[in-house]
Amino acid sequence: MAKVKAKRKKNSASTSRVATNGAVRKKKRKTSSNNGSASAASSNTNGASARKRSSRRATAQSMAASQRDISVSEFFAKNRHLLGFDNPRKALLTTIKEAVDNSLDACEEAGILPEIWVHVEATGNNRYKAGVQDNGPGILKKQIPLIFGKLLYGSKFHRLRMSRGQQGIGISAAGMYGVLTTGKPVKISSKTSKRKPIHYYEIQIDTKNNKPEILNGRGNGADIPAGPKGETWMTKHGVEWVSRSGDDPEDTTAKEVVSGTRVTIELEAKYQRGRGSVDEYLEQTAIANPHVTLHYLDPDGGSHHYKRSTETLPDEPKEIKPHPYGVELGRLLALLKATDAGTLSQFLTSSFSRVSPAVAKKICAAAGLKVRSSTRKIGRGEVDRLYEAIQGTKISAPKTDCIAPIGEELLLKGLHQVVPGEFYAAATRPPNVYRGNPFQIEVALAYGGTTAAQRITRETLNELLTETDLRTLRQFLIHTFDGIGSEASERILKEADLGNRLSPGKIAGKQIDALHDAMRNVNIGEGQTMNVLRYANRVPLQFQPAACAITQSILNTNWRPYGLSQSRGSLPSGPVTVMIHMASVWVPFTSESKEAVASYPEIQKELRLGLQAVGRKLGMYLRRRIRVRQEGERRNIFLRYLGEVASAVSEINRANRQDLYDQLLKIATKKTAEADVKLDSRGRPVEEELDLGKNVLIVDPNQVADQLSAK
Amino acid sequence: MAKKPVKTRSKNSKVKKASNSAPSKKVVAGSSKVKRPKARVSTKDRKTLGELVSMADQVVLAARRKRDPHLDIPTRSLSNVKFNRRKRFIEMGKNTNRRLLFNLSQAKSYMQTMLVGSGCKQLIEQGKNTSIRGLYYMLKHTIDGTKENTFEEQSECDPVIEDVEVLLGSLREELHLYADKRGEMVGNLTLEDNGDLIDCARMGSGGYGIPSIVEPNVINFKKCTAKFVLHVEKGTVWQRFNEDKFWKKHNCILTHGAGQPPRGVRRLLNRMHNELNLPIFCLLDNDPWGYYIYSVIKQGSINLAYESQRMAIPKARFIGLRSKDYERCGLSPSVRIDLNENDRKRARQIMGYPWFEHKKAWQKEINLMLKNDFKLEVEALISKDISYVTEQYVPDRLADGDWLD
Repeated sequence: MAKVKAKRKKNSASTSRVATNGAVRKKKRKTSSNNGSASAASSNTNGASARKRSSRRATAQSMAASQRDISVSEFFAKNRHLLGFDNPRKALLTTIKEAVDNSLDACEEAGILPEIWVHVEATGNNRYKAGVQDNGPGILKKQIPLIFGKLLYGSKFHRLRMSRGQQGIGISAAGMYGVLTTGKPVKISSKTSKRKPIHYYEIQIDTKNNKPEILNGRGNGADIPAGPKGETWMTKHGVEWVSRSGDDPEDTTAKEVVSGTRVTIELEAKYQRGRGSVDEYLEQTAIANPHVTLHYLDPDGGSHHYKRSTETLPDEPKEIKPHPYGVELGRLLALLKATDAGTLSQFLTSSFSRVSPAVAKKICAAAGLKVRSSTRKIGRGEVDRLYEAIQGTKISAPKTDCIAPIGEELLLKGLHQVVPGEFYAAATRPPNVYRGNPFQIEVALAYGGTTAAQRITRETLNELLTETDLRTLRQFLIHTFDGIGSEASERILKEADLGNRLSPGKIAGKQIDALHDAMRNVNIGEGQTMNVLRYANRVPLQFQPAACAITQSILNTNWRPYGLSQSRGSLPSGPVTVMIHMASVWVPFTSESKEAVASYPEIQKELRLGLQAVGRKLGMYLRRRIRVRQEGERRNIFLRYLGEVASAVSEINRANRQDLYDQLLKIATKKTAEADVKLDSRGRPVEEELDLGKNVLIVDPNQVADQLSAK
Repeated sequence: MAKKPVKTRSKNSKVKKASNSAPSKKVVAGSSKVKRPKARVSTKDRKTLGELVSMADQVVLAARRKRDPHLDIPTRSLSNVKFNRRKRFIEMGKNTNRRLLFNLSQAKSYMQTMLVGSGCKQLIEQGKNTSIRGLYYMLKHTIDGTKENTFEEQSECDPVIEDVEVLLGSLREELHLYADKRGEMVGNLTLEDNGDLIDCARMGSGGYGIPSIVEPNVINFKKCTAKFVLHVEKGTVWQRFNEDKFWKKHNCILTHGAGQPPRGVRRLLNRMHNELNLPIFCLLDNDPWGYYIYSVIKQGSINLAYESQRMAIPKARFIGLRSKDYERCGLSPSVRIDLNENDRKRARQIMGYPWFEHKKAWQKEINLMLKNDFKLEVEALISKDISYVTEQYVPDRLADGDWLD
């Protein structure tokens, strides 16, 4: 090795004098000024050295010249898939998602009941304009360009507090994507109070420097005064702003929007309904955020309104200090370096939660360090010991009041509002801790009712068929609708008498009618698999279900005792929707695009317990339903045969058939009534009242049908 | 309506004829007491009708009293049969199974029982007979307001018919039902079947098909010169005997029952035995199935124990095949059929039946078969010579008086 190194040194020394040749080198920046072909030729005369040289194409010096800073924005511009901009369809969703999440965070932090407007508009040529406005506190003028025009700028990264956003990448990355794909700037308007003007900015990101570039008002933005004057200005300049709350912007009696922020991004995108769509995201957001009112105008002109079902904001989550168990060695070192505390004890008690002087003393004793030793004088090896000591010392779990769960009642409300069903149950688990981070799991379940496929209208179906780019009807059914598996799709197509391989775009009106009828009539529930709605800090997770701890724990739960059929290693089947919410100060996502929750054992355990809690209730409900059905069937069996018996008897002895039938019917009713209050399998009288405990909602199936037809 | 009386009259005459031929049965004149007479009803039929009506009346009565209507059907299983040592046949015990209308698992069969009752009533009133398959089709229909049929298959209907038989204590023919006919007869016997004179000695190669109902109102023996009856298990063997004119040589009557003999064959054997005083010899396979056929002919069947009285022939004899025949006749090993587990189980079961239990010869016979661990069919004798069975085997046995009782 030493020899080689020496040779290299010599070679590199020679290159400073003699330039090397080769295609690679030519592409790179010039390494030295005196780059002559003659000297290159001379170096080639020595065959051996030429071979050596060709194996080494660059030198430390030449490489150093091209080594430079990478801007965050450049990195993410290249790696947009990391942030959820892998394809045009997902880009639209991610953009809206980031904007809505930010809006909700802002509103909640300011204690305002959120009202959000989402406008998606096609501007042609695969371009869409996505506008999201909230009634939040607004943003100070000087902060606007930074928040929307600089990656990794935000308030949420450095604190441990439950919020939707975490890193401060999302919305600015969306803006960057928009600028990259359409060249149109991001438009932001924000207003902080009734009398204050609306600050209006058009921004681009300078990707090289990760800095905002303001395009309007000569780099200063524009201020739009409040009142009618401002409104005319806005119409003149095409600035969009919803000034009245409620469904109808023209309604002048509605409350004025006194503060809020609106961001409009034009981007290359694709709008498609179905799984993983904007529509789905907003619907799911409405479930997990029952305090939010959402107005959504889709690109086809359809408007959707999700009204809030509660007027109370969720409790304000508290910010906490990190728990010692969750801190890695490197982090501990960094904290030690940065601390203002003088002594080790002070450092421990002030930087971490749940460390009292007594606990600090214990830790120090275990590490063989003095409590009063100065933080400056602690060396690498001592930190190592300190780290070990922390892991070995018993420290109570972090306070869990920093998490604001949705709550069982609101979970039920939210789910009932959006998912039609006949039985709802919810369970909120007590908070737990993974790696020193408090978290809490909530599970809600809806059973019965009909699926999206069954309540679809003829027009929507037609639209979906023309929109889709899937090749066969079968694929179309499976991928567009939740809950339709291959089995159900085959049954639907059989019922409609359509071929599996027909192209969705090419089927005629009559065939669409047949398909529509079949979708309504075929009992999808039989082959339907469970619909899983995953949430992290109230944000729906729509992608990568297989990688997510939530899906995994549903798969690992045995649902058969709860009355659902489930084949090994797959989701249970039945008309069930399960919604799972993980609330935490730091949700462990598997990637930056925040699509799946990592599976820590503690999280898996809480998930399992939560699922089992709602599962038990579902099981009780289903068992009773089966029993009621059996009783009905029993009565039916008797009724079915009574007529035959009466006819046969009257045929034999000429008794009056009707009299006999009526008498037998009376006995049958009496008998089955007796059976109704009969004993269960263990010989105890079956109670008529089903005691399911709290947080269960049972809806009359007829009402469900009404609810559907109303839709 | 105008047509009906004419039809009725022709039917009446038929019934009259039939009953005339049977002196024991009297035609009751003035059957007008039955409200809608479609045929003249015999005393026997009146009795059956009476039973049917009382069954139906029970339902009406129960319904009026708000009670559960039920039927107590005598149990048709081994647990409810008794071997009468004195009479030497199986009798039915007194156990009954209660069939309830308001019991989920019994509701349908209750309904079916009533349907069969009403079907039989129609048959009796109209003076017609039908096969049990016919009755099944007669009663099969879709129940109003459902997709369910009263009967799905004939196998569902047949046991119900047997239930009705035991319930009413009536024979199948009294319910105007008959089974598919099976079994043939040939021999020196002249009989009258439904008014036609039949000489069983002149039946060609096919033989006389034994009808399902062979009661005296249908069949009467006219002239018999035969000295005994040889009953063989199945048609192929019977064909051999007929072709070799065994019955001519030995002056006997030759019958077969195509396996387990149907009731018609058993009743005819019983009548020939009792009325013509002919001894009955059985030539059956040497296997548990053959043993049981013999047992049924001799003591009556477990399922139809209530009919033993007129079916069983306690004096019937078993001449072969015997377990020892493999060695005695020097048969080739290729004709042996290995016993399977089912056969062994069945053989032990048969050994345990009270009517075999105390017969040493039979115990020895079955034990030998179990020891051999193979069974033999009558056809096995053909391996010796085509006519070995007719020319040697049976004549030898008869001459030696070598049989099991």
